[in-house]
Amino acid sequence: MTAAKSLASRALSWWWGIAATLLATSLCAVLLPTPFMNEVMIFAIYVSGCNFLIGRLGFISFGQPAYLAIGAYCTAFYLFYVGTNPLVGLGVGVLGGLLGAIIIGPFFVRLRSDYFAMVNLALAVVLFYVTQKLLVSITGGDNGLWFLTQMQSTPLLDLTAPAQFLWFAIIVATAVTVMFKYLDGTIFGACCLASRLNEDKLQFIGYDNFKIRLVAFIIANTVTALAGAMYAIYFGFVSPEMGSPSRAAEPVIVTLLGGVGTLAGPLIGAFAYTGMKDVISNLIGNWELFIGFLLVFIMLVADQGIWGTLPPAARALLVHLRRAAGRARN
Amino acid sequence: MPADGPVLDVAGLNAAYGEAKVLFGIDLCVAPRQIVACIGRNGAGKTTLLRCICGFVKPLSGVVRSHGSDLIGLAPYDVAKSGVKYVPQDKKVFYDLTVRENLELGSYASGDRNWEPALNYFPKLKVHMDRKAGYMSGGERQMLMIARALLGNPRLLLIDEPTEGLAPGIVSHLREVFTDIARKTSLVIVEQNLPLVCAIADVVYAIRDGRVAAMFSQRSEMSFQTFEKFL
Amino acid sequence: MSLDPRLVMSSVIFGLSIGGIYFLLAIGLSLCFGLMRIISLDQLLYYSIGAFVTYSVGVATGQFWLGVAAGAAAGGLASLAVERLIFRRIYARDPTFSMITSFGLLFGGIGIIKFVWGVVPRPVEVPTLAQFDVLGTQIPVYRLIIVGIAVVVYALIWAFLHRTIVGKAIRAAIENVEHVEGLGINVGRLFTLTFVIAGALSGLAGGVYAPLILVDPMMGLEMLAFVFMVVIIGGLGSIKGTAISALIIGQVVSLGSLIYAPAAQMAPFVIMLAILLIRPTGLFGVALTRR
Ligand SMILES: Nc1ncnc2c1ncn2[C@@H]1O[C@H](COP(=O)(O)OP(=O)(O)O)[C@@H](O)[C@H]1O
Ligand SMILES: [Mg+2]
Repeated sequence: MTAAKSLASRALSWWWGIAATLLATSLCAVLLPTPFMNEVMIFAIYVSGCNFLIGRLGFISFGQPAYLAIGAYCTAFYLFYVGTNPLVGLGVGVLGGLLGAIIIGPFFVRLRSDYFAMVNLALAVVLFYVTQKLLVSITGGDNGLWFLTQMQSTPLLDLTAPAQFLWFAIIVATAVTVMFKYLDGTIFGACCLASRLNEDKLQFIGYDNFKIRLVAFIIANTVTALAGAMYAIYFGFVSPEMGSPSRAAEPVIVTLLGGVGTLAGPLIGAFAYTGMKDVISNLIGNWELFIGFLLVFIMLVADQGIWGTLPPAARALLVHLRRAAGRARN
Repeated sequence: MPADGPVLDVAGLNAAYGEAKVLFGIDLCVAPRQIVACIGRNGAGKTTLLRCICGFVKPLSGVVRSHGSDLIGLAPYDVAKSGVKYVPQDKKVFYDLTVRENLELGSYASGDRNWEPALNYFPKLKVHMDRKAGYMSGGERQMLMIARALLGNPRLLLIDEPTEGLAPGIVSHLREVFTDIARKTSLVIVEQNLPLVCAIADVVYAIRDGRVAAMFSQRSEMSFQTFEKFL
Repeated sequence: MSLDPRLVMSSVIFGLSIGGIYFLLAIGLSLCFGLMRIISLDQLLYYSIGAFVTYSVGVATGQFWLGVAAGAAAGGLASLAVERLIFRRIYARDPTFSMITSFGLLFGGIGIIKFVWGVVPRPVEVPTLAQFDVLGTQIPVYRLIIVGIAVVVYALIWAFLHRTIVGKAIRAAIENVEHVEGLGINVGRLFTLTFVIAGALSGLAGGVYAPLILVDPMMGLEMLAFVFMVVIIGGLGSIKGTAISALIIGQVVSLGSLIYAPAAQMAPFVIMLAILLIRPTGLFGVALTRR
């Protein structure tokens, strides 16, 4: 009885969370500039894959641009060479990402987490070279592929119109969040966490570590590829720059910024990061300096991220204020 | 030599790993040239006690003194330098280094180049000086661990389960060595081998669930039967 | 396809020299992992710093080798500051944690370099243009000097680790930090020393490589993947492994570009995947024991 009740209240509470986030995002979508919001939403999807890898598997990947590029280029290939429907392009991108993850995954998930981080970065560098130099005849090298005007408009939500694309992005981001939330509650989610905490014991109770990691890896990176596909459609353009290894740390930084493993983390992190990037780049122009030391700072002091640090900080402030008020009264 | 006080004085020691509390108000005292044995079941907290004393685990509260000077808060290497040395349970010598190199590291901090006394306890080591320590048997590794710790004339040795998994011949050799060492250096030995404990210990502490369940300092009280119920 | 033997010859020397640079960079990363269990991407920052200082001192004094020495010293000093201020606080945490932190340092450092030296790539003059005749092939002497420096560094590091007591303590601590501490040795000092040696070698690598490339703020990032692959193939924590794999990757990159240039960048990656498939910890990697 109580168990059922608590379950119901839990479900309600996270539905509430999602509804509230959705509301807040919609408000922002109306109030803030559309290009900014579009970037934030796609970025949030991009980061949620990385967030899942770090938060649930304990695997840090510096190779997310690689999976992003896979999705983006698959979509671009379809829209540039084959068809005109962006929704189909999106599907092709996601499929490409899925296939890529299925091929790469078995190699990578066997590795220890530190090797995993490094190998992924190496993959990103290599893919960057492939798109930039090796397959110039197909990818157009540094010039990239341009197909913005080639896309046909879609019914209901016209993906070729930025304002409508934004609503599509919000819907997709919500769907991705709900999916990750759902996964957290399943046996699979529990196994992921368990494999992060103690792999030997997990093996012992009869779950195959390799399979769990592989599935998680595939899910996370298919989502990353989805973000890549959405970038491609939104910009109507892809170039090697999108998967540049110099941006390899971005998803990791944003994950940490938003708080590892939290659901709203990617969204909040994406907001903060995109906002800061705009402001700082305009203000001092030396973005690396800022983001680099911010990252070091987060790691040293507040490795819970904005989301994880703010509530305790707010609570401390509240206690402090209350005490001060008490003293004033005496 | 520092003047007064026991070689080791532990009082009200509490320790925990994260949330899990392991030691509850341990009191323990070691006089000069004494052999103190700690017995108790696996998981009772004996290793944790030794690791607290030599600074590897930071206790929650309590006192650890040696000759009146406080050891709590010192870094492990400072504890070792002050003459309180720890021989861990795992018998892991430095496998990739030779026996000689292992000993060199033992005397590095103190600058004590006189290895003779320590090596005389274990003549076997002299034969294998230039062999990689990883190639030696478990008994020889234990000897090397003890010899290594003896360099620099410590005033107290903390030895964790020295005879665990060793052949009977080596155990009786170690028994003689321990009584010899105790002529100069105090010893705290965590040991499950009760005949050995009965033979050499001056004081026995029985640890159970992180507490001192009983203490025996009279030879007449020490018997296999009395100790057995604490294992 | 037939290859000109003279081209192959100069390619081999080229590969040796680039392998030497990889080695100088990777050895620090590998040692830091072996001893402190950290992944120190900021080594690539000291590499850039070394190159820039070499450039500036070279411009100011006209002395290239003085510049290289200053570059190595700058790398060592920068790493000393970073170790004292930052790494000291995170040794106890997971290796990937240090990887993120050091990535932040690398980025922040690039920002500082941009601030100090600007974004325009700088050329550094080759100290000697002399050529050396090997079987009818003209080989730049400077390439051979780089190979020589790498060999000398390898020998020095080996001697340091095997012949000095501090080096022995470092080897012992790679096996077991706690036991070394239990013998009364301050392991924190060993950590600092190792980190500074690594930083100085990275600075040295940047200095000697500067004349062969353009010195620009992003040069560390360009090197990153190759250094990673060298370290991964050799196995984290192994000096011998690092040397061997630097040798291999150097040859693969240079001979590879002789056969099909674009693929040369990919080949090391394929080799790395193949080796990881057989041995997940690289050729000579230390097994990560819990401490
Ligand atoms: N590193 C550790 N982290 C968490 N718990 C530990 C750790 N080491 C020991 N423990 C726990 O502390 C208790 C005491 O362990 P220990 O001191 O090793 O006992 P003993 O040496 O008497 O067998 C045990 O319950 C053990 O599970
Ligand atoms: Mg024990």
